[in-house]
Amino acid sequence: MSLTAKRASRYIIALVIIFTLNFVIPRAMPGDPLTNLLGEDVILTDSSVIELRSEMGLDRPLFEQYLDYWHGILHLDLGYSFHRHSPVAEIIFARMKWTLLLAVPSLLTGGILGTILGALAGWRSANSCQKASTAFFLAIYCTPPYFLCLLALYLFSFKLDIFPLKGFYDTGSAADIALHLFLPVLVMTLFSLSRNYMIMRGSVLQEKSSLYAAFARAKGLYDAEILFRHVFKNALLPIITLLAMDFGFILSGALFVEIVFSMNGMGNLIYDALLSRDYPVLQGSFLIITLMVVSANLLADILYSRLDPRVRWH
Amino acid sequence: MIPDATLCASPEIMPEAAECPDENKRQCCKREYSRTERISMSLCSAREVLRMQKMSLVGLLLFLSFVLMAVFSEELAPFDPWMRFEPYLLPGSEHLLGTNDMGNDILSELIYSTRISLFVGFAAALMATLIGTIVGLLAGYYKGMTDEILMGITDIFLMIPQIPLIIVIASFLRPSFWIVALLMGALWWTSTARVVRSRTLQVREMGFVQASRALGFSDLHIIFTDVLPNTCHVIAPKFLLSIASAMIAEASISFLGLGDPTMKSWGTMINFAFTRGGFINGYWWWYLTPGLCITLFVLCVVLMGFAWEEQERTNQRLE
Amino acid sequence: MNSRRPDDAPILQIEDLSVSFSTATGQVKAAENVCFKLYKGETLALVGETGCGKSVVASSIMQLLPNNAHIQGRAIYAGRDLLSLSEKEMSRIRGSEIAIVFQNPSLALNPIMRVSEQIAEMLQVRKGYPAAQSLELAGEMLHRLGLQGDDKMRMYPFQFSGGMNQRVMIAASMILSPRIIIADEPSKGLDGALAAEVMAEMARIKNQVGASLLLITHDLNLARNISDRMAVMYCGEIMEIGESEEIFSLPRHPYTAALLRCLPERGFQPIPGPSPSMIKPPAGCKFHPRCPNISEVCRRKPKMTRVEGRGTAPAGSESEIREVKCWRY
Repeated sequence: MSLTAKRASRYIIALVIIFTLNFVIPRAMPGDPLTNLLGEDVILTDSSVIELRSEMGLDRPLFEQYLDYWHGILHLDLGYSFHRHSPVAEIIFARMKWTLLLAVPSLLTGGILGTILGALAGWRSANSCQKASTAFFLAIYCTPPYFLCLLALYLFSFKLDIFPLKGFYDTGSAADIALHLFLPVLVMTLFSLSRNYMIMRGSVLQEKSSLYAAFARAKGLYDAEILFRHVFKNALLPIITLLAMDFGFILSGALFVEIVFSMNGMGNLIYDALLSRDYPVLQGSFLIITLMVVSANLLADILYSRLDPRVRWH
Repeated sequence: MIPDATLCASPEIMPEAAECPDENKRQCCKREYSRTERISMSLCSAREVLRMQKMSLVGLLLFLSFVLMAVFSEELAPFDPWMRFEPYLLPGSEHLLGTNDMGNDILSELIYSTRISLFVGFAAALMATLIGTIVGLLAGYYKGMTDEILMGITDIFLMIPQIPLIIVIASFLRPSFWIVALLMGALWWTSTARVVRSRTLQVREMGFVQASRALGFSDLHIIFTDVLPNTCHVIAPKFLLSIASAMIAEASISFLGLGDPTMKSWGTMINFAFTRGGFINGYWWWYLTPGLCITLFVLCVVLMGFAWEEQERTNQRLE
Repeated sequence: MNSRRPDDAPILQIEDLSVSFSTATGQVKAAENVCFKLYKGETLALVGETGCGKSVVASSIMQLLPNNAHIQGRAIYAGRDLLSLSEKEMSRIRGSEIAIVFQNPSLALNPIMRVSEQIAEMLQVRKGYPAAQSLELAGEMLHRLGLQGDDKMRMYPFQFSGGMNQRVMIAASMILSPRIIIADEPSKGLDGALAAEVMAEMARIKNQVGASLLLITHDLNLARNISDRMAVMYCGEIMEIGESEEIFSLPRHPYTAALLRCLPERGFQPIPGPSPSMIKPPAGCKFHPRCPNISEVCRRKPKMTRVEGRGTAPAGSESEIREVKCWRY
């Protein structure tokens, strides 16, 4: 129980610190905090500046502002975008489903295929076929995700002209969406696959020389039976948390994939916000992404304690 | 680490155990090294890595040629990268890799960009390694409360989505490669800290550390003269891998236009190609070459890092 | 101790087995020209100091050695040379024909799998039994070894003591009724009383299923208590082989004699001199640098020589052979 409490407190502290960071950044950065909170290129009259300043509480002591900030967060109020003339939370939630549509299927297939292929590569590390596949995924592992997109587009859209260049859909039919989603999902899958692959491969390489694997062989199990009955789960357990931590990196990758494919998700929202220095949207997006990453970690923690009897019994 | 019971199941420990047949003697076979021995051993292990893994030798050669390119950009580049020729030239004899929209020679741009890209990667990795090493050493050496707190902080840092945070902070500041490098260094130290900590936990129990403590040397002295040299060989591969992730991150952040526009890096080159129509119009030589450079460089760093890590793992098993 | 008839053919015959490992520091000769026969129903103990290569012999019979091992010689089982079988063929022999009990049971069992499942798995994979039946049989086997109750069935290795895990391993090695059981230091890590208990159970079940036991141990008294015959190994070579009681009462090889003198009840005298290197072993008889009866001829390699047993056995019967590798015979 105390272990659970310790874990839980770690997540809560992490969230508090990250949210506090989000409060501090616009106030600590060079320039007028009002501009930093509203975004640049927002043209205001002098009277409205004063009005806004007091409305946003910038004339009050920092501590009060901080309490207000938390009040807002707890009511899902992430601020107001003057560029888009609507609350940040609304904008983000409208965009997020597109990002999830891209990220979730590719994360799932990438996770499942990555661990299985990685396990095989680690198990048969001397096999030349596995060596080739390791080299392939290593090359992808070393490529920035957006460049992977550029490569894929260059090949499939420019040279072969099979897939559309950009966007989520032209007509809106399911087939059309699928056609538009194919390349980005493929790239994302390869990207997350390569990361899981490398992690799992290393873990299996390490587990392979353990005594229980040798005993499984001595019991009469053959090759892949040993891998999938014994080694796989043992190799997967210690890296579940590692894979969850990588989730943040993979999600960031999805943002870049969206930008290259001009898809209307969070990635392009952030990109546009960046170009127009729309700080509230940037910060709101950062918070939402953080929330997603932290919950992925929490999920991994729960999953781990469920799967590992050693944790379950303590 | 692994009890000798694994004699037959774990091949690597076999020879050593076999060399010292009786129990007492095997005890003295558990080697503990002084600093100089350790440093020369990690050099040796680097050499071993090279000998054993041909791939990492390829990696090293590539790595060195990129470093040379960064150091001798002026001598190697055929043109000044800011000089303007006819724009949108296809790769040809005059301009080996063609020109961009401003008429800059792409090959010269690539060579000059090596400098900034490598600089950011190295600076970030250096800083991350420094922070990670210190945190790991302190947490592993003092254990207890210090460990709890430092590892708690590490866990929290691990959860921060680094690239989005850098994007937010960098967006408030004037674009500069220094800031990007510093930010990455401040966020990327976590995995180094974890590795160094677990190694330190092992090293602090070794005889010579216990001896130094018994002789009354100060904790700081012990940490830096006894413990640190014995963790070098786990830090080095982590350093290489940090370079790799820092370079990918730098390329990503520059791609968003958060890099310094007055300087050239591989990431900014792709950014320009993407935003100024090089991509839409299919001028492949403009954006594919810097991307390939990134991939190649990261690949060779990762190859060396992995090979080194693997070697260390077998060495550890031998111990 | 058992009812072996002198004319039985050996169930396992090791011929000229040599194993070496290539390592960064050189070729490690872990076993050299090892020959012995294992008869049906008997217990043969392979004794020697830690690191003398006895475990390597066990692992090479099972083809469990890592890739950097070079194996020469033959291990004839049921008319086939085990050392030349493919991994696939070997997997059919492991567990069902020849089983091995590892030392260090707490590491050898899969940490995240219930003990009963680890045993039942063998029935499922090798015999194709359904899961429920396999678990039931596994439970029965655990019961015979003194681990009763449904709660024990559902336990994980980390919840068991070393002795309990050792029983689990023994249960796993017996579940398919193999013809040969190899026990690699089964008493290691267990205290004296427990070790004796575990070994007694092992011997009992072994006799029930009628298997032969190859016991690998550094514990001379254990070997004496449960084995019929004994082979003494030094630095990768078998120095002496014969009836256990006979070896104890009349050791022929100087090494055997020196080893016996190490026993507390026989004076606790250590063997003088350092243990030899396995990379560059002494030329000739490997024991000669430490041997009290050294002579010039010891610099050449001695042959395994048959010597007369102590009258208890009928002359000429193959099973009672006493062999010594020493120039004095």
